[in-house]
Amino acid sequence: MIGISNLKKKYNGVTVVNIPELIIKRGETIGLVGNNGAGKTTLFRMMLDLIRPDSGEVLSDEKNVAESEAWKDYTASYLDEGFLIDYLTPEEYFHFIGGLHNKSKAQVDSELPAFSEFFNGEILKKGKYIRDLSKGNQTKVGVAACMIQNPQILMLDEPFANIDPSTQIRLKNMVKDISREKHITTIISSHDLNHVTDVCERILLMEKGKIIKDIATTSNTLQELEQYFSVLS
Amino acid sequence: MTLTFLIHQSKAFWRSKNTGKSVVMRVVMATLILYLLLNVLVVAFFLDRILKKTNPGQDILYSFNSYILYYFLMDLLLRFQMQELPTLSVRPYLHLRIKKNQLINYLSLTSLWTTFNLTPILLSLPLLIKVVLPEHGPTQFWSLLVSIIGLTLSNHFFSLWIKRKVNLNAIWMLIFFGTLILFVSLDFYFKLFSISALSAGLFNSILKNPLYCLIYLLIALVVYIINYRYLKSNLYLEELHTADTSHKSSTEIPYLNRFGKAGDLVANELKLILRNKRPRSVITMSLMFMFYGLIFYTNPTFSGYSGIVFCGMFMTGIFIINYGQFMFSWQSAHFDGILVSKVSAMDFFRSKFLLFTFFSSICFLLTIPYVYFGWKVLIVHFIMFIWNLGVNTLLVLYFANQNYRRIDLSKGATFNWEGVGASQWILSIPLLLAPFVIYYPLNLLGYPEAGLALIAVIGLIFMISREFWLNKLVKRFQEKRYLIAEGFRNK
Repeated sequence: MIGISNLKKKYNGVTVVNIPELIIKRGETIGLVGNNGAGKTTLFRMMLDLIRPDSGEVLSDEKNVAESEAWKDYTASYLDEGFLIDYLTPEEYFHFIGGLHNKSKAQVDSELPAFSEFFNGEILKKGKYIRDLSKGNQTKVGVAACMIQNPQILMLDEPFANIDPSTQIRLKNMVKDISREKHITTIISSHDLNHVTDVCERILLMEKGKIIKDIATTSNTLQELEQYFSVLS
Repeated sequence: MTLTFLIHQSKAFWRSKNTGKSVVMRVVMATLILYLLLNVLVVAFFLDRILKKTNPGQDILYSFNSYILYYFLMDLLLRFQMQELPTLSVRPYLHLRIKKNQLINYLSLTSLWTTFNLTPILLSLPLLIKVVLPEHGPTQFWSLLVSIIGLTLSNHFFSLWIKRKVNLNAIWMLIFFGTLILFVSLDFYFKLFSISALSAGLFNSILKNPLYCLIYLLIALVVYIINYRYLKSNLYLEELHTADTSHKSSTEIPYLNRFGKAGDLVANELKLILRNKRPRSVITMSLMFMFYGLIFYTNPTFSGYSGIVFCGMFMTGIFIINYGQFMFSWQSAHFDGILVSKVSAMDFFRSKFLLFTFFSSICFLLTIPYVYFGWKVLIVHFIMFIWNLGVNTLLVLYFANQNYRRIDLSKGATFNWEGVGASQWILSIPLLLAPFVIYYPLNLLGYPEAGLALIAVIGLIFMISREFWLNKLVKRFQEKRYLIAEGFRNK
C-alpha cells in the first residue's frame, strides 16, 4: 500500500529522517514510536506531501505522493489543529469534509450519531466554533472527520495525547474495529506504549530519523519497548 | 514590575521570527508620524492667522475655543478607527505572583504613548503662548492647557474602553456611532443646539474662572477609573480570548452549491470573512471605499477619464486588491488541512475566482448610483470591472503564490502589518500602473475613448483565456506549496 525508498530530510545539516526502505502492506496497523525529535511528525508530513523530501520518495498505491493527488481520495489524516478549519462549527466542518467525498449533508448527519459515545456530548450541537473547543475536543473532531472520509489509509499523529482516558479507550476500540472490519491501513504515532502495543500489530521504533526496530507485536513487545526507552534515559 | 514587562516586550519584539520586517515597518511608520507631526506644528504656528481668515472679525481666542469640542469629537472618531489597544499578552503572567493592578497599570501607562495624545497639545500650545499668555496671563494659560490635556486623556481612555466593549459586543459600536450622529445632526440639521457655542461658552468660562479646568482633569480621572475597573473585571483568560460566548449556528449558503467543490470552498471562505476580525475589517474598509468617487467626481479639476479609470478600478476592485493581496495567508492556520484534503489545486484556484467575481459584482452594483455624474462614469466603471476580473484577479493570485506569511485572523486590520511583505509592495506597482500604461499613450494622441476600449478588450481577452492562465497558476502553486505551507507553519 505504501512504499518508502531512500527517504531523507535534513534541517540545518541535521538529518531528521533517513529511511532507506519501508513497505507497509494493505490492512496493516502500524504503531510509530520514538522520543521527541525522532522524526515521526516529519515522516508523516512527507508521507502526506506537506514537506518536500531532500531525496527519495513515498509511494502510495504505487504512485508518488508528490506527483499524483490520487492518494487524497483514500487517505485520511489528522496531525494537528492545523488540519482543522477553526472558524467553522464541528457540524459545518464534517459536512464540508463529507462533501469533498461526495457525501450529502443528510448522509453525514446520519453517520454522526455513531460517534456520540466518542464525542461524549461535547462536540455536536454545542454552538461553538472549532477554535473555541479544547485541544482534546479538537482532536476528537479531527479523528471523526477522518472516519467520515471512509479512508483506506488512516494516519494519526499522537491521537491519544490530549484526550481523556475514556475517550482514549473508545478511540482504541474504534481503530481496532475499523481496521478489522474494513481492512484499513492505519499508522498511528504515540508516546503511550501501552496503547500502541494494544492497537497495532506492527511497531516501528524511530531514533534520530532512522527506523531502528521493526517488530511484529507479541506479548513481549511492550516489555521490549519499555526496556529500550528506559535504557536510553 | 513595569520595567520587567517592558523588557519582556522588547525581547518578544526582537526575538520574533520576523523582526527584520517589523523593524523596517517601524522605521517607515516613525518617519510617517514625524512628517505628520511636522505638519501639525506648521499648522499650529499659523493657527492664529488661519482662525483670523476663517472667522473674520471674531476674537481669535473665541473662535479657537469654539472649535475645541469639534476637534475632540473628530479625535474620538479617529481614535476609534486607528488607535491600537495596548497589547501585552497577559496569559503567561496571570497565574504568577503579580497583582492585577500592576498588569492593568502597565497596560494603561504604555497606551499613553501615542501621537493622538501629542497632537492636541502641539496644536494648541503655540496659540496659547502667542495669544493667551500675553493677553490673559499665566494662570489662564495653564488652566486652558490643563483642560486640553484633561480632555485628551478622557478621550484616550474612553476610546480604549469603548473599543474593548466593541470587541466583546458589536452593539456598542452602534451605540457609539448613533450617539455621535445624533449630536452632529442635532447641531447641523436641526440646529437645536450648537456644539461650537457650547464649546466657546465652556472654554471662555475657564478664562474667567481658571479653576474650572480641574473639572476636565476630574472627567479624565473618572474615565480612567471606568477603564481600569472594566479591565480588572475582565482580565480573565476566557473573556480575553473567546470574545462572545453566544450560540454559534451552522449556516448554509445554498446558492453556492451549484458551483461544485469550488462553491463549497467559497462558502467556507465567506464564513472565514464573516467570522474573523481581520477579514471582516477588510470588508468594512472596502465598503468605505465606495465613497471614494465622491472625492473625485465632485471636484471639477478631475474632468478627464483618467480620474474615473482610477476610481473605477479601486471601487470595483477594492476587494480583489485588499483581500487578494494577502491571499492564501488568510487560510494559513489550516493550510496543511487544505493540502491533504481532497481539494484539487484547480478547485482551490477556481474558488478564488468565484469569490472575486462575487465581491466585485457587489462593488460594481454599489457604484451604479455614480451614474448621477454622467453615463460615461458608469461605462468606465464597467470597463474597469471587466479589467479587474480579467487582469487583476490573475495578478493578485500570481503574487499569492509567493506569499509565505502567516496571518492571525483575530486581530484588527488598521495598522496591522502582520502578513505584509515585499510581495504586497511589488504587487501594487503593476496593479496601479497597468491600466494607465495602456490608456495614457492613446490619450496623449487624442484618442482617450480608444484607450478605454483597449483596456476593455485586454480585460476581456484575459477573462476568456482564464483557463490557460489558471493552469499556469496551478503549476506554479504545485512547485511553491511546500514553501507556502512551511511559511504558514511559522507562528
